[in-house]
Amino acid sequence: MTLPAFRVLQPRSVADAVSMLDQHSDAMVIAGGTDVIPNLQMRLFTPRVLVDVKPLRELAAVEFSPRHGLRIGATTTLTHILETPWLSEKFSVLASAIGTVAGPLQRNMGTIGGNLCLETRCRWYNQSHFWRQSLGGCLKKDGDICHVAPGGKFCWATWSGDSAPAFLTLDAELEVAGPSGTRRVPLREFYKNDGMDRIALGRNELLTAVRVPAHMARRRGVYHKLRVRDSIDYPLAGVAVTMDVDAGGICRDARIALSAVNPAPVLVKEASESLAGRKWSLELAERVAHAAIQTGKPLTTSGSTPVYRRDMVRVFTRRALEETWKNGRGSA
Amino acid sequence: MAKNTNGYNIIGKPMAMTDACAKVTGLGKYADDLSVPGMLIGKILHSPYAHARIRSIDTSQADALAGVKVTATGEDARNPYGILPIGHDERAFALGKALYIGDNIAAVAATTPEIAEQALDMIRVDYEQLPGWFDPEESMKAASNCINEERPQNIEKEYHHVFGDPGKGFGEADFVAKERYYAGEVNQAAMEPHATLAVWEPDDRLTVHSSTQVPFYLHRTIAAVCEMPMSQIRVIKPLIGGGFGGKSEIIPLEVAACVLAKKSRKPVKITYTREEVFLAHRGRPITIVYLKVGMTGTGKITAVQARVIQDGGAYCGYGPVTVLYSGALLGAIYDIANVQYDGFRVLTNKPACGAMRGHGTVNVRFAFESILDHLAHQAGLDPLEVRRRNLLKAPCITANSLRVTSYGLPECIEKVFERSGWAEKKGKLPYGKGVGMACSHYVSGAANPIIRSNMPHTTVHIKIDRDAAVTVYTGASEIGQGSDTMQVQIAAEVLGVTADRIKLVAADTELTPIDLGSYSSRVTFMAGNACLNAAKDMRDQIIAAVAKKFGCAADDFEAKNGCISHKGDAGKSLSFDEAVAVALEFHGALIARGTYAPPETARGGKFKGAGVGPSPAYSYSAQVAEVTVDPETGHVRVDKVVAAHDCGKALNPLTVEGQIEGSVYMGFGQALQEDMIWKDGRLMNPSLLEYRIPATKENPEIESIIVESIDPEGPFGAKEAGEGSLAATIPAIANAIFDAVGVRINSIPITPEKILDALREKQKSAAGNGANTSKKPQMARNYR
Repeated sequence: MTLPAFRVLQPRSVADAVSMLDQHSDAMVIAGGTDVIPNLQMRLFTPRVLVDVKPLRELAAVEFSPRHGLRIGATTTLTHILETPWLSEKFSVLASAIGTVAGPLQRNMGTIGGNLCLETRCRWYNQSHFWRQSLGGCLKKDGDICHVAPGGKFCWATWSGDSAPAFLTLDAELEVAGPSGTRRVPLREFYKNDGMDRIALGRNELLTAVRVPAHMARRRGVYHKLRVRDSIDYPLAGVAVTMDVDAGGICRDARIALSAVNPAPVLVKEASESLAGRKWSLELAERVAHAAIQTGKPLTTSGSTPVYRRDMVRVFTRRALEETWKNGRGSA
Repeated sequence: MAKNTNGYNIIGKPMAMTDACAKVTGLGKYADDLSVPGMLIGKILHSPYAHARIRSIDTSQADALAGVKVTATGEDARNPYGILPIGHDERAFALGKALYIGDNIAAVAATTPEIAEQALDMIRVDYEQLPGWFDPEESMKAASNCINEERPQNIEKEYHHVFGDPGKGFGEADFVAKERYYAGEVNQAAMEPHATLAVWEPDDRLTVHSSTQVPFYLHRTIAAVCEMPMSQIRVIKPLIGGGFGGKSEIIPLEVAACVLAKKSRKPVKITYTREEVFLAHRGRPITIVYLKVGMTGTGKITAVQARVIQDGGAYCGYGPVTVLYSGALLGAIYDIANVQYDGFRVLTNKPACGAMRGHGTVNVRFAFESILDHLAHQAGLDPLEVRRRNLLKAPCITANSLRVTSYGLPECIEKVFERSGWAEKKGKLPYGKGVGMACSHYVSGAANPIIRSNMPHTTVHIKIDRDAAVTVYTGASEIGQGSDTMQVQIAAEVLGVTADRIKLVAADTELTPIDLGSYSSRVTFMAGNACLNAAKDMRDQIIAAVAKKFGCAADDFEAKNGCISHKGDAGKSLSFDEAVAVALEFHGALIARGTYAPPETARGGKFKGAGVGPSPAYSYSAQVAEVTVDPETGHVRVDKVVAAHDCGKALNPLTVEGQIEGSVYMGFGQALQEDMIWKDGRLMNPSLLEYRIPATKENPEIESIIVESIDPEGPFGAKEAGEGSLAATIPAIANAIFDAVGVRINSIPITPEKILDALREKQKSAAGNGANTSKKPQMARNYR
């Protein structure tokens, strides 16, 4: 498969990049390219301009201060995050989740910004030009039918990133640069739960960093991922859990987020309320796990069945709670 | 690893493959690495419909696009072809009807791949869609709208064999089991996608470089399709990045590249995308096995009845051979007197299936070894002991006329029994952990050639000139299995020289004599024997000259350690270089030859279909798999596979172990995760991201054990090693899952969903009637 014809622009600064995006209405941002390039080969997009932000050193910094918390520049590679020991220690859920992204080669190239802006995926969409054309396309690309939920007008293409649910359980915020300056947006408001229009990022905006408040450091946390191959696979379902547990084993605060069962990564709202102030019990964990199922609405967007993926959301939620809460996994 | 080298210098010792350096450094040239000045890039237009009449094709817009040099359609090459003489049903491009999504409709050759792709979009095809056939058991009921008008009911071929008296056998059984097994479709997924460079030469000859396991059949086919004499065509096989049967027949891009090259009179290269590899397919068909086996209370198999339905896709390919192997290889492993076999190869509107590693035997072996485990459980016998009680007494002829000359299965079974700790583990591990065992076997080449003739199956030439370099000319196709290295070893051993003195020229129809190809695990046995014969011929010529010089008898001399030496008189010894000079003075030219054809006694019975299954020798394998099943997620981890393989004689233990490991990995993939998912004839996962071959991280630990039965006719006693181990892995894992959690999954791949369904069913039925039954799960619904 060839690539469509495009020009690559190399900005010298974030402002430069934003102005390039502003000037070219069909420009796309490329950093690691692990998501963009295969999608271009499949002709899912045919931008005439790619803005290559990978060389922008200002986007590659990783910092932590007790006052400002954690800030990871958008073009930091996933491998770099994994190989920054203090980061993995302070935010175990990040290491747990990011370590499961694709394989080592992709993690060497892929960036955290790219992973947080991943294109949604569906087995009717992530196919070659020939394959999609032979079917007349789908809602998300070149067609007017959803093959997942025929008759519907909603696109169910699935959020398939692993780092986003982990960041959601850390109350992360994003820094977004645009023509009128930089804005901050809570991560949970960034995702729109729409397979066709996945993120609240303007065409002329650039994700520059992800931030985590300082008080989230050293929370216990773990990510469980359903996949066929440990070596390389997108998630079929993912569950991230973080928890602040006091010396008496009482949960002070907790978050659970799901991936790969909706068009967005989502927090399980009931989880924090049900868990705060409570002591570990299997029964409570089971109840919360059942609540998690209600948040996930998987459809047949991948090779696995929705029933199984829902079921595993339940099992993984319970297991993740058991690990973090009862067994103290991921505690600093 | 085998230690005993029986006084050999090179044979039996591990040796790195001769092409290893080129491959690991990236310097080796595969077909897609080749490029010549003026080369065009070809692209193929594939059918978007599963079954459609082609009303018209208009290439005029594409022809007019700047950079497009030529387009071609079915009218440009009307002659049909196919790997089997009884199955010439393919054409370069579809004529009249498109038979599957991906069928070849037209092609373009242009100066760049981008232009070629753009041109494809400009070819206008007017289709009339027809209803498609996607389920083999439905397809067999077709009364009209058949895929191929010459194949009523969409049945490509059916065979019905009865050996012994199955009715009587079942009457003698204390236990009879009847099960339906289902195997999903799998693809070879060789790392190297197919590629062909067809070069139209200035003198109107055609040179074809192609990723093929069968240069000779390609040579014949190109001649027929392009209407050129074979003498004007040269086929060269470059480095191959894995075949596993996926390159063992003529693949559409090979024909398309040649047609485009001939029409444009230019070099044309086509390289498949991974999706096109899946569209050209030729992998293992969906197989439905209705199996009934009878056994006495002491574990003796009394009768077997098998009804096998294979979903072959839209074209014949190797289909009749596949379905014959499925029946024939019920025999030659155990002593079974009474067998009924009904095999059906069915056409559907999908890519043609082919001869994938373990051709024809794998899915049926999964069924057979599973049912044997089931019967053993019913009878309260150790399943490993049941295998011991059904062994052949070799040498022998089986009920279906297969000649067994060497039989290392008993030793394989004992080896895995010991090394796996079977006695301590079987039925004794905690819930969730289990062991399972299974056996398998395979041919060492087909005793009868695809195109019947009395010519040799393989010929090897050896030439030595004044540099005293030994050049071996062989038609055998190295596809990663070690074919080249094997022949270097044999020639060096016989001539008593080091391996680096041997230069091997292989698989180039202009330079090398014929070999039928790398399929049915025939190369070590057949090309190995031909090379052995040629090397002996060469050695005898050199010795004859040396003996003459010293006035001694030829028998007094031997070729060893780089010398031709007198066994009794060290003074009458010459270095190899000196001996070659003497021999050149004596003979003028030093040219030797060797051939191989299987003996008449190995060629099987006389009934219809008896030609497939006979082999000069059979390999044997026994395996024990140990698994951990998570009963809550259905996830299976294969902790270890102990695999013993009887390869006759391990000429190169390094590559034999590699082949055993590769077979187990491939079986592991098919057992648990590989599956081509179809929806109305559309492949839902035509990529290596979604078609999930296991990577190193998932693969189990393997303990390979080489068993050497020393076959009387194999070169140095060698038999096949590349395919036989695969089939045992799948049922060994399935049986281990039963041992771990008490459910039998009769459908592969054994996904977590299937295991959870089965566990729920079991729980339900246990709760329902309080009895301890292991009721079968519902067959998982497959996307067709």
